[in-house]
Amino acid sequence: MIGPRPAGLAGAILAFALMTPALALAQGKEIKVGVLYDQTGAFAAGGSKAASVGNQIAIDLVNEKGGVEGYKIVPVNADAQSKTDVAINEAERLLNDAKVDLLMGVYSSAHCVPMAAKVDAAKKFMWANVCIASAVFKDKNLKYVFRPQVHSDQFGEASCMFIAENAKDKLKKEVKDVKVAIIHEDGPYGAGVAQGNEAKCKQLGMQIVHKEGYAATSGDLSALVTKLRRAQADVILHTGYNPDITLFLRQAKDAGLKFAALIGHGAGYGQIDKLVETFKDDVNYVYNVDPVAAQLLDAKSLKPGLGELTAEMVKRYKAATGAQEVPPHASMGFNQAWIFFSDVLPRAIKKHGGIDPEALRKAALETNIPEGGTIQGYGVKFFPPGHAMAGQNERSSPVVMQYVKGETKIAWPKALRTIDPVLPLPKGHAYAR
Amino acid sequence: MDCHLDIFFLEALLNGLLLAGLLALLALGLNLVFGVIDVVWICYAELVMVGMYGVHYAYKGGLPFIVAAALGIVLVAVAAGLLHVLVIRPVLETAPINQLLVTGGVLFFLQAAATMAFGVEFKNIGISLGSLNVLDMSFSRARILSFVVALVGMLALWLFLTRTYMGTAIRAIAQDRQIMPLMGVDSRRIYLVTSAIGGGLAGLAAGLMVLNYDIYPQIGLQFGPLIFMICVLGGLGSMIGGFVAAFVISQFIAVGSSCFHTEWGYAVAFLFFMIAIFFRPQGLFGAKS
Repeated sequence: MIGPRPAGLAGAILAFALMTPALALAQGKEIKVGVLYDQTGAFAAGGSKAASVGNQIAIDLVNEKGGVEGYKIVPVNADAQSKTDVAINEAERLLNDAKVDLLMGVYSSAHCVPMAAKVDAAKKFMWANVCIASAVFKDKNLKYVFRPQVHSDQFGEASCMFIAENAKDKLKKEVKDVKVAIIHEDGPYGAGVAQGNEAKCKQLGMQIVHKEGYAATSGDLSALVTKLRRAQADVILHTGYNPDITLFLRQAKDAGLKFAALIGHGAGYGQIDKLVETFKDDVNYVYNVDPVAAQLLDAKSLKPGLGELTAEMVKRYKAATGAQEVPPHASMGFNQAWIFFSDVLPRAIKKHGGIDPEALRKAALETNIPEGGTIQGYGVKFFPPGHAMAGQNERSSPVVMQYVKGETKIAWPKALRTIDPVLPLPKGHAYAR
Repeated sequence: MDCHLDIFFLEALLNGLLLAGLLALLALGLNLVFGVIDVVWICYAELVMVGMYGVHYAYKGGLPFIVAAALGIVLVAVAAGLLHVLVIRPVLETAPINQLLVTGGVLFFLQAAATMAFGVEFKNIGISLGSLNVLDMSFSRARILSFVVALVGMLALWLFLTRTYMGTAIRAIAQDRQIMPLMGVDSRRIYLVTSAIGGGLAGLAAGLMVLNYDIYPQIGLQFGPLIFMICVLGGLGSMIGGFVAAFVISQFIAVGSSCFHTEWGYAVAFLFFMIAIFFRPQGLFGAKS
């Protein structure tokens, strides 16, 4: 027989198609990504390291599949050391000296707010994975900074809506009779969430009996605890990092502070294994508002394939850290990075001709992932230029989780519930009235 | 301003008093070293951190807490002795800025070493002593214990300095570093013993702090600036001054935090500090140079 057989030709084409990524990688095309998290300092244990591990898993998975459109992802990791000045300097070093093509990551809102403004002014591209302060975008009209992550106004609103929905059934009170105290670390993160708390709880008619900020590095919160005892709030809404969260919980217990519910908002409250290790049964029934830890979602509610992707992330996270519980921050670091590498970057290369900030910006603005299209459930579409929140994902949403015997359950919204929320704290609990 | 002169205000004042005991103990070791050797240990709070890790691992390793705390004292006393011999002694006769810089270098070294050795995770000893309720007030037993032990520790130091030969020699050399060696006092030995005692006090504070705080490599930053402010306010080197200043500062923090927002407590305390130093640059109990 003369000439190639059809089956042989198909096999050759298939083999070539499979080899193409490898060939491209072999040609040395790469995209350098500056990955910035706090590997040391107080933020590291508050979720930053977990997020960086998630971020790295996403990069590994992408590279193992041959990269993106022939580009190998080359992370250039940097440690912000839980210090704003270091974070800014490292961002500048990555962009100007290491010549990365974009910045990714960033845990702390205190770092994110000034960094985003600087990066945008320099017309470089930044993809924020974890920081949540609305102040990063609000009225800034940023053009080159994008964030699929939930923002702090949504955190603040979620906890108030959860209380309002459960006031009558669980607290046996009308919404207008519910007393709420809001306490927060005084950086952009805490202040942003607290602002969202105050606006939404007031709008829903609740009584704000106390609102106060404090320095996250404070060595003593006993005066704050005393004021909370005086205010006798039903629900305490707390936004903090670490070690302020553990200091507050310890001093609150020692001082005999009682309440019906404590709702934390991310950061240290997201580290369930650490909380259980320190406070044991005392963290039972404590709530945490965060983007959901992906493994808690029913995979059937997501786009096909995302369940397997989550399982792979969880498997690799446990192998990398030895942890038994995978915190939401791991999902945040993984998910936002995955969205960028699987959706935005291919479009930038194929449709907009490359990986320069302009191409990445155009590709990001065209992102249109429906609800259920990411491992954390929410969709992705960015507010357009000119909008008050330009660059922020308008489809992101947090959940309210509750810790029960060392496990994380979803308490709100009702559509995603995996537990009928325990509210108020049951008799015998260290903080129960 | 939102001052309520009620039982909760009294509770805040008394909590401030309890905090003062711990701060006074922390200031005491630093003041002792400065008063005798004339060196400011910028890394003092980091020595406390080392002690906290020591107590933590000794306790988690199965030792009773009291033994673990005693080991913490020994550990930091030895560390402080090594600090003196290896770092301070070589620069003792040089300009004071050199001593500040080398102890500042030790601060960063200890933080980095702790991060490498113990990781970034927050450690907790897991002991809860509960609370003591009086009227409608509630106080942490751990804080009360810290206050009492701090007072006992300070009393023990006072007895040591006034009733023993070594204590007398330490006080003597603190008064005149040039003359006392001519009268037969071995200043090198006195400096070493003083450093070890200063470290021992830091170790004692570490044993008390693990009952109240998480342990992490940067915990020194939480207390370091406050301790220095107390020492300067009391008069660097004045042990009584540091003791009094700890109570003054903690009450400013307590009242300020109660009447204003928590962070205002520190602002009020620092404002008082600035005004006091403006009128008495040598500190409340410091001698004019």
